This record gives sequence, C-alpha cells and structure tokens, in this order.
Amino acid sequence: MTATTTRASTARSGRERGRSRDSLAAWLRRPRPPLAPPRWLAVLATAAGAIALAVVPLVNPSYINLTLTLVMIWTIVGLGLNLLVGFGGQVSLGHSAFFAIGAYAVAVGGAAGLPHPATLAGAAVVPFVVGYLVGLPALRLHGLQLGLVTLAMAMATPAAIRALEPLTQGSRGIAIDGSPPAWVPLAHDQWVYYLALALATVAYVVTRRLARGRLGRSFVAVRDAEVVAETLGVDVWHTKTRLFAASAAYAGVAGGLYAMLLEFIGPENFSLTLSISFVTLIVVGGLATVPGAVLGALFVQYVPTLTSSISPAATGAAYGVVLILFAFFVPFGLVGLARAALGRIVARLPGARGT
Amino acid sequence: MLLQQIADGVATGAIYGALALAIVLVYRASRTLNFAQGELALLGAYVSWQLVAWGVPLWTALAISMIALGALSAASERVLVRPLVRRHQPLPLIIVTLGLMIALNAVIGWAWTYQTKEVPALFGEGAVTVAGIALSRQDLGIAATVLVVAIGLGLLFERTRAGLRMRAAISAPESAELSGISTGRTMTAGWAIAGAVGALAGTLIAPELFLHPGMMAPVLLYAFAAATLGGLESPPGALVGGIAVGVVENLAGSYLPHGSDFKQVVALVIIVAVLLVRPQGMFGRREVVRV
Repeated sequence: MTATTTRASTARSGRERGRSRDSLAAWLRRPRPPLAPPRWLAVLATAAGAIALAVVPLVNPSYINLTLTLVMIWTIVGLGLNLLVGFGGQVSLGHSAFFAIGAYAVAVGGAAGLPHPATLAGAAVVPFVVGYLVGLPALRLHGLQLGLVTLAMAMATPAAIRALEPLTQGSRGIAIDGSPPAWVPLAHDQWVYYLALALATVAYVVTRRLARGRLGRSFVAVRDAEVVAETLGVDVWHTKTRLFAASAAYAGVAGGLYAMLLEFIGPENFSLTLSISFVTLIVVGGLATVPGAVLGALFVQYVPTLTSSISPAATGAAYGVVLILFAFFVPFGLVGLARAALGRIVARLPGARGT
Repeated sequence: MLLQQIADGVATGAIYGALALAIVLVYRASRTLNFAQGELALLGAYVSWQLVAWGVPLWTALAISMIALGALSAASERVLVRPLVRRHQPLPLIIVTLGLMIALNAVIGWAWTYQTKEVPALFGEGAVTVAGIALSRQDLGIAATVLVVAIGLGLLFERTRAGLRMRAAISAPESAELSGISTGRTMTAGWAIAGAVGALAGTLIAPELFLHPGMMAPVLLYAFAAATLGGLESPPGALVGGIAVGVVENLAGSYLPHGSDFKQVVALVIIVAVLLVRPQGMFGRREVVRV
C-alpha cells in the first residue's frame, strides 16, 4: 500500500512540475499510471456494465446485436495483438492470417459435423500451434524483419485460402451453421452475442492478469531491454514464441466467432485491410494498455460506417491519418487521453486509492 | 518455353529490382522499411498517366513525375520519419509508414477513382525475336532503363564526392558528422532518390498490370522479397534479387498447380527462407550487436 502511495504521489507532482514547462505535444506524450478509481466506483461501474451487456441483446434488433458482437470480436483480437505488440514489442501485421485460420477451423470443423464448443476450441488451438511454428523461426528476427514476414503472411492469406480449395472451397466461400444448440432458447444473433461476450470477458480478465503479473513484466522487460532481461533470467526466446502463439490464439478465437456470426466466409474477408484495421485498433486504443482494446474495437467498428458515407476512400484516409497522428502525438492512445483527462478527477473522488 | 518464361521473368524482375532499390536506399538512409514505398510508386504512375492525359509527352511526364515524387518522398522523410528516427522508436516508425501507405492509397482512390486506367507503353508495341524467344520492346526497354538507372546510381555513389559523403554518413554517422557532413541532408537525399526511382518503377510497370489503386501492393511484396534476398543494404543486391524473384515468380506461375494463386505465397516463402538461412541476404553484412 505504501509503495502505491509513493508512486502515485511522485507521478502527480511530476505532472504538476511539468505542466508549466512542457508543450502540449510533450504533455500528451507523457506516460501516466492507470486510473485507480475508488473501489465502490469500480464495483458499481462493473456491475452496471455487466447488467447492460447482458440485457442489451434481448431488447435490440438483430443488426445492432451484430455490430455489438463485432465490437467484442475485435476486442478479443485487440487484446491478443496488444499483448504481442504493446507489451511484447513484437510487430505483427499478419494477424488477419490467424483470424482466418480460426474462422476456417470453425467452418471446416462444423462441416465435418463437430459441435460448436469443439470447433471454437479448434479455433484457439490451431492458430496457437501455427503461431508457435511461425514464431519459432520468425522471432529470431528483429522488429522490422518480423513486420515484413507478417505483412507477407497477411498478403498471402487470401491466395492461400483460394489455393487450399479442397479444404476451404476456395473463392466460392464456405457456409457455417452458427445457430444455437436445440436446448438454448435464443435466436442466432443472441446466441453468438453471448458466446462472444463470455469469451471477450474471459480474454479481458486473463489479459489483465497476464499484463500485471510476472509474465507481463517479463514481456515488457524483453521489449525494452532484451539483453538485460536475458541476464536477469528471463528466457527471451520462450517468452517471445509463447507470446506470439498466445496472441495468435486470441485472433483465432475471434475469427471463429466471426465465422459463426456471419455464417458465410470467403477469401476476401481476410485481406490486408483487416490486418491494418487490427493495427489501427491497438494504436488508437492505446499500446500496452488493456482497456485500449475495447476503445480501439469501438473505433474500428463505428468509424468506417461513418466515413464510408462520405466516400469509399474516406475510411482508408481516416485510418492512415489517425495512425500517423497517434504515433506522433498520442502514443498511449485513447486510454492515455482518458488517463490525462480523468486522472485528477478520479483521484479526488471520496475513497480514492492512493490519496 | 522455359527460356521464354525466364526472359519474361527478367523483365518484371527488373521492375521489382527498381522498387527494391528504392527500399534499400531508404533502409540505408534511415534504418527502416518504408511500407509506403509501393504507394509512392503508384502515385508516380498516376501522375505520369495524368500528365499524359493532359497532352504532355510521355518521357517529359515521366521526368516530372520522378521529380515530384522525389520531392514528396523527401518531404515525408523530413516531416514524418526524421523525428522518430532521432528518438530511436522503431515501432512508431513502422506505424507511421503504414499509415502513410493507407492514406496515400485512399487519396489516390479518391482522386482517380477505383477504375482501371490504360497506360501507354513507354517503348511502343511489338516484339523482337532472338533465338526463338520473343522479347517485347517494352520488356527490353524496361530492362535497359533499370540497368541505366542502376549504373547511374552506382557511379553517383562510388565516383562522386556527394556519393562519398552519403556512404560515409551511412557507414559511420558520428564520424561523418564530426568531419562536417550533414547526415540529415544525406538521409533526405536517400529518400528523394528512392521516391524518384519508385515513380520510375511505377510508371514502367503500369502498362503491364493496368493502373488501379490495388496495383502496387503485390509488387511491393515482391520488391520486399527482392530486397531481403539482396541483403537490404546492397543496391546491386536489390537488382539481382529483383530479377531472381521475377524469374521464380514467373516459373511458379506457369509450372505449379494453382500457380497464379501461389504466386503471392512464393514471395512469403522467399522472404522467410532467406531470413532463416542467410538473414544478411546475398550481399549484406552480418549484423553484430554490441552489448
């Protein structure tokens, strides 16, 4: 408890000292501690959020459920990709490939007559194994080379799907039965919504624990000072390969849910654009933050619907400009902005921790 | 038949080599990969097309396009890349060039729509038959142009004072700064030349692939494969790598089942194989990290 107190107070005094001197750009770039709301507020907000999320699909038309489910699917990808890129410092431009593998695992498994839980497990396991195998050699490479390999993976994905026609039915696409089992009295969109909600919640909690625990700190150590981390007893190579594989598994599960949601997928669903929107997601949400995945997911789901009403090119322009602006000025993304805006307010609430 | 395929591969390979050359120049200047290199080349092709459509002679249009893209590339180095290179932040650097790639592509789609446009061949129609192999005038012209550019750049780097300064700034930046060479200026120069070479590559390949906003993405991938194969730091390596990739791509397209689909996978396989077996490529130096 004392440790937290000192850290919070030094952070605050540093902020106040800096304010008069720093430019706006430097103020935006400053790293900040996560918000520490008082316990009653955290409990209240979580409870209210949980109830809202549980009731929403029962009262909404199916197309709203569809977009909300997509938000949760993007959240799962974002959590995994942020573990890799934000915490691990490894670039991947190829997560659309793992997303596709997950989707096709569900599609092919379903076609072979397997029930849903089994196909979704496959959507986690197959990308994990593939990610591990890709990671074995690829992680000997440093940042840029890994970016290159994964970019090539993303670009080759649609072609690979078309070429593996016996399995994937090529460019004709493949249908998936996403309807709930007989004992569940829900419509298709509600069923997939609850599945996605459950898996996104699990992914969120697991990622939060990972990020704060020993493993998360070893990721950050490998990212910031690989040689030092190795000297201190972190098995760098194992850390990296497992991280890569775990991140691929997140993307795979999300891909599996995506296939169940759309009930029809083809090679054109998994283009380079998808990978780029994943990268945009974590950059906008906030690299190396856990809640960033949720904010980023909202961004990549709703901004394109706004921009595409202007012009088909506007989405790309918006993504590109946002990527550049965030990389320069807002390195901690929307979460960083929220911390900057709300940090002082939250610290003054009655019962706030660390005051 | 085989020889014909190889000859066709050499011509497309020369273009991959030219774009790979641009990638290598940028890498030598800033130690980063410019993911927007393909879109810059695409913009060059569109500028050439637009000028020709306005009645400018083709070769003049190409020259203007190369100058314009050189300037744009230099400006993006100065504004977007330099501050991040100075801060030693590899991840934001990748994000920024990725953002530039998407934004440029969108701007091109906005300005010129997503419909394909036909570009006049720079070297005219027709073919020359040598020993049973039909070489189109276009292919011969492309190979010759790329060769001339490569020799010109080689002379610039090896035989002029400016080239000596650039090499010094790349191989020993601190000592170069101390002896009065502005490393910043050489970085910008590297990007400017890369932009111009890219515009040339884009304009050369546009008649083959038909001009549309998605044209350069696969070409960029092959160029990355070529640059990796050549060692990322070596301009001659980029050219040799480009031709090798062009030939392999063409042979894979004709002789493998599902060849046209596997073409893109070929680039991935080349990149991974080179990085695993010989990460420094054919002409690069092994990188040693000092702790």
